Amino acid sequence: MAELVLAAATPHNPLLWRTMVEPIPEDLLGVAGNFRAIADLIRELEVDLIVLVGSDHVRQFHSELSPAFVVGKAESYHGTWQNEARAFGMPYVEVTGHRELADAITGREMLTEAIDFAVSSEWRLDHGFILPMLYLTPDLDIPIVPIQVNSTLQPFPTPRRFAALGRHIADSIAAWDSPARVAVITSGHMSTEIGGPRQFLGGGSSDPDFDVEAVGWLADGDLDAAIAGCSYERVLASGNLSYQYVNVLTAFAAMGGAPADFAEATPSRYAPSPFFWWRKP
Amino acid sequence: MSKYMINKLIRGIELSDATVQAYVADPPGFVTGWLAGGATQETRSDDRELTAEERAAFDTRDYAALYALGAHPYLLWHWVEAVYLHEATWPEMVERYRTAVTPIGWPDFVV
Repeated sequence: MAELVLAAATPHNPLLWRTMVEPIPEDLLGVAGNFRAIADLIRELEVDLIVLVGSDHVRQFHSELSPAFVVGKAESYHGTWQNEARAFGMPYVEVTGHRELADAITGREMLTEAIDFAVSSEWRLDHGFILPMLYLTPDLDIPIVPIQVNSTLQPFPTPRRFAALGRHIADSIAAWDSPARVAVITSGHMSTEIGGPRQFLGGGSSDPDFDVEAVGWLADGDLDAAIAGCSYERVLASGNLSYQYVNVLTAFAAMGGAPADFAEATPSRYAPSPFFWWRKP
Repeated sequence: MSKYMINKLIRGIELSDATVQAYVADPPGFVTGWLAGGATQETRSDDRELTAEERAAFDTRDYAALYALGAHPYLLWHWVEAVYLHEATWPEMVERYRTAVTPIGWPDFVV
């Protein structure tokens, strides 16, 4: 059977792409080092496949049709949109998919009862997916199953559903007849505001109290507290884009709510960045 | 008032370099062309309509007005970057934008 060997959570701040370059500026050394630590774990644990859980930023999915959870079933994906190449200097890329694992997660002819997934056979991935890949697997040599979680356009799934998604991914991997070694990687933010009065506070958080709590739930292995603490009202009060923090609950639940091996809101010039990881216990 | 239509046009401008350039060169002309360019009865749905207030905000690149009208803040900020950074630096635009939207607070942007 396939094995879930690693779960991790990273930021996907695209502004890093122009600034976090050699020689790495001092204020970004922590972010660069934590991306490198997860990249090293992927190699050390001989990961064959990555389930990549991220949020589209109103590029592929907008209010014309905005599903809660979408699993990619394509053989490959184009990555980076023209506005991301323009604004952030990100490269256009091609990423290999993995249909068999995608089918194991959603069901092939009938959907799993765990989650009413939407599925996609053609989808251009934005920086919510590509940015972490460029740092974790720079050669893009590990196939992925992308899963879109809607944390950008209300109405959002509840935090309990993000945890259910994580448990379902773990169960699907455990039941999949394959020798693959799989990692679940989520991308998101700590408290974050874009386009509101609190954006770009020069490295400060839009809600330091939320960030402390949000790291603590994972460091302590308290999934119930994380779910309770991620009420819509509390998360949105911390920043208008903070709901992308909730993505981490999928990695957390995939690891059974165990305390993270590493849990940190890493400082940077932009805002504290989420870094969490768990080796399989 | 339709927050969906505001976001649709913001996105329609910001996603591609060609539309950014066309809009910046002639905002009212671009908006007129956009409003006229929707779907016909025979094609996939693509409605396009703006109130007079929304139309005026797009005609003048008025980001404070669009923010107050409930534009999605993430989309709006990246639209501001796309249509203003040829005439101001990024730090200048960050501060100009903050100054403009702070008195407005946090409007309901749920579509």
